[in-house]
Amino acid sequence: MLGYQNNILRINLTKKEAKTEPLRMDWAEKYIGSKGLSIKYLYEELKPGIDPLSPENKLIFMTGPLTGTSVPCSGKLAIAGKSPATGTICDCSIGGHSALKIKYAGYDAVILEGKLDKPGYLFIENDKITFEDAAELWGKGSHEAEAMLIDKYGHDYSVISIGPAGETLCTMACINSDYYRQAGRGGMGAVMGSKNLKAVVVNGTGGVKIPNIKEAVKRIAEIEKEDTLQEDNTFVYDGGTTAFLEACQDGGILPKLNFSDTTDEDWTKYNGEVLLESLEGKRGCGSCGLGCGNFLKMGDVVCEGPEYESISVAGPNAGNSDPVAIVKANQVADDMGLDTISAGDTIIWAMEMTEKGIRDFGVRFGEMDKYIEYLKLIARKEGIGAELALGVKKLSEKYGGTDFAMQVKGLEYPQYEPRGSWGMSLAYAVSDRGACHMRAYAPNEEVFAASIPPYTPEGKGEMVFNLAQWNAVKFSLCICDFWGTLNMELMAELMTLATGKEWTAADMAEVGTRVINIARAFNQREGFTAKDDTAPKRLFNEALKNGPGAGQKIPEEAFEDMKQQYYKVLGWDENGMLPESLLATL
Amino acid sequence: MVITIKLRGSLIKYFNGQREKTIEVPLDCSAEEALKLAGIDWPKIENFGFVAINGKRVMIYDKLQDGDELKAYSKISGG
Repeated sequence: MLGYQNNILRINLTKKEAKTEPLRMDWAEKYIGSKGLSIKYLYEELKPGIDPLSPENKLIFMTGPLTGTSVPCSGKLAIAGKSPATGTICDCSIGGHSALKIKYAGYDAVILEGKLDKPGYLFIENDKITFEDAAELWGKGSHEAEAMLIDKYGHDYSVISIGPAGETLCTMACINSDYYRQAGRGGMGAVMGSKNLKAVVVNGTGGVKIPNIKEAVKRIAEIEKEDTLQEDNTFVYDGGTTAFLEACQDGGILPKLNFSDTTDEDWTKYNGEVLLESLEGKRGCGSCGLGCGNFLKMGDVVCEGPEYESISVAGPNAGNSDPVAIVKANQVADDMGLDTISAGDTIIWAMEMTEKGIRDFGVRFGEMDKYIEYLKLIARKEGIGAELALGVKKLSEKYGGTDFAMQVKGLEYPQYEPRGSWGMSLAYAVSDRGACHMRAYAPNEEVFAASIPPYTPEGKGEMVFNLAQWNAVKFSLCICDFWGTLNMELMAELMTLATGKEWTAADMAEVGTRVINIARAFNQREGFTAKDDTAPKRLFNEALKNGPGAGQKIPEEAFEDMKQQYYKVLGWDENGMLPESLLATL
Repeated sequence: MVITIKLRGSLIKYFNGQREKTIEVPLDCSAEEALKLAGIDWPKIENFGFVAINGKRVMIYDKLQDGDELKAYSKISGG
């Protein structure tokens, strides 16, 4: 197939060796690229049971066949490995320009193995690969480190880096690029830090071959005009994900005070209108047609974002309505290389523990100076931060408060209250990397549309499967989530244009199912079963008090019913396990 | 009675880029009827999302009262 470079760059950090090898095209035909193909490589190459922070773990930067073409929204890079937060497979999707640089350097993927003997960074420019000393960078925030490297090499280069959180092996550590884009969840920054790898600097000056380039580029431009750039997608240019805040507030799924309730009467103090009054500039990722990035300047704080997740966790969920504090928290977390969701959820859990008198963590709801200080302490594992860096699962196992430790498999909850969207509790429970909203975005069907009622288990298994299948394909093509109208037919057409092989919508759907299954197979091999597809007891025991979902809590039997529906759709057994016959197809 | 209709997301195009309009509707008017009076034939809009009255999600057939704010959203994706 065209569209690929048919070339993998494999880096042995222990030996400081770089080799290239052909892409496994037989795998690419089944898993395409990015999410799916990186999980396949890890499934085949990682031994079960390895310590995610050991040199045995691998970190894969994987592009897709559309990367580097004129397909809009195709500039994302998958970063995948075994998660130190959960022990599951974990793939992230990072924006910016690094995906294009890797592809133009001539590689479909970079596979990082082993561990450097001391802090270093990797330099990649086409076929020139060098291992550089990072003594001057180590300990610095991700922003300062990136700035130093851009200063040294120039703006043609893309930098993928970790902050102090990655260096201290904090399992909430993310990987940054373009300063404010993250591979956020699951501790991929800690995996990179465990390899003593501070950064990867990359540039590429080659290109990407696709068949019938003139006709393809013309057709891609038509698709962009007719579909990508319609208003259903371009709303993100106007406000980024701040637009979600009002919808979640009105829809009754904006969480408040560590998910103890929903809706916030003060939401207009930090909503998109307020935040965007401080707009300084906008940007998009490589090949982007939508430009969702908003740069804000509030006081002395400059920050891209905050996105909806970061607004919610540092806003109503923390008992805060000060927009400056929300923006500052985002900026600090990004510089420290911390997942805003996991770090924020841990701090707000600690707030509730303190408020309830279960354990005094020295921070209460609304205390944002402390929230921001705690982000730094968590990243550097200093003082109280050394404890909080454990995350809500381990902390609650140690101190109590498990009922309101909002997590699944050790990954903290994104900012959509499931009692207002029951299918979301299922989506969080069965997501391949722990509680994640980017596998099956249930509110789009249950809350933001009239398709299916939110407060019932009926039909939720199929709904979550359909959403997860769609996203699994999209993220294996490495297309951005914000191209929301992209369907299987269009994805098939884009794949056909880029590769020269005929793909159909049915092929795309099959890939999506296969990707869900291989991720589950990885986790199954690590010992995960239905008992790990959980929901915090808060959802079962405490009814919402406000919003359209007032009075709602999820009956535990309804939650278990939704799980069984999902397993059945996929052909898994009652224990959520793939049968041998299905494993053999992967 | 008089109500305010606010549009969100891609629905703004139905008010030619304006985000809100105040209109007069009959007593006992539903959200659905009010939208139709404002020129928004919601069943024909593929990406029509949900409606909220006074900041709270409701069913499309729920009734309005004088002075109410009716918000209509398109679907959104992402997170």
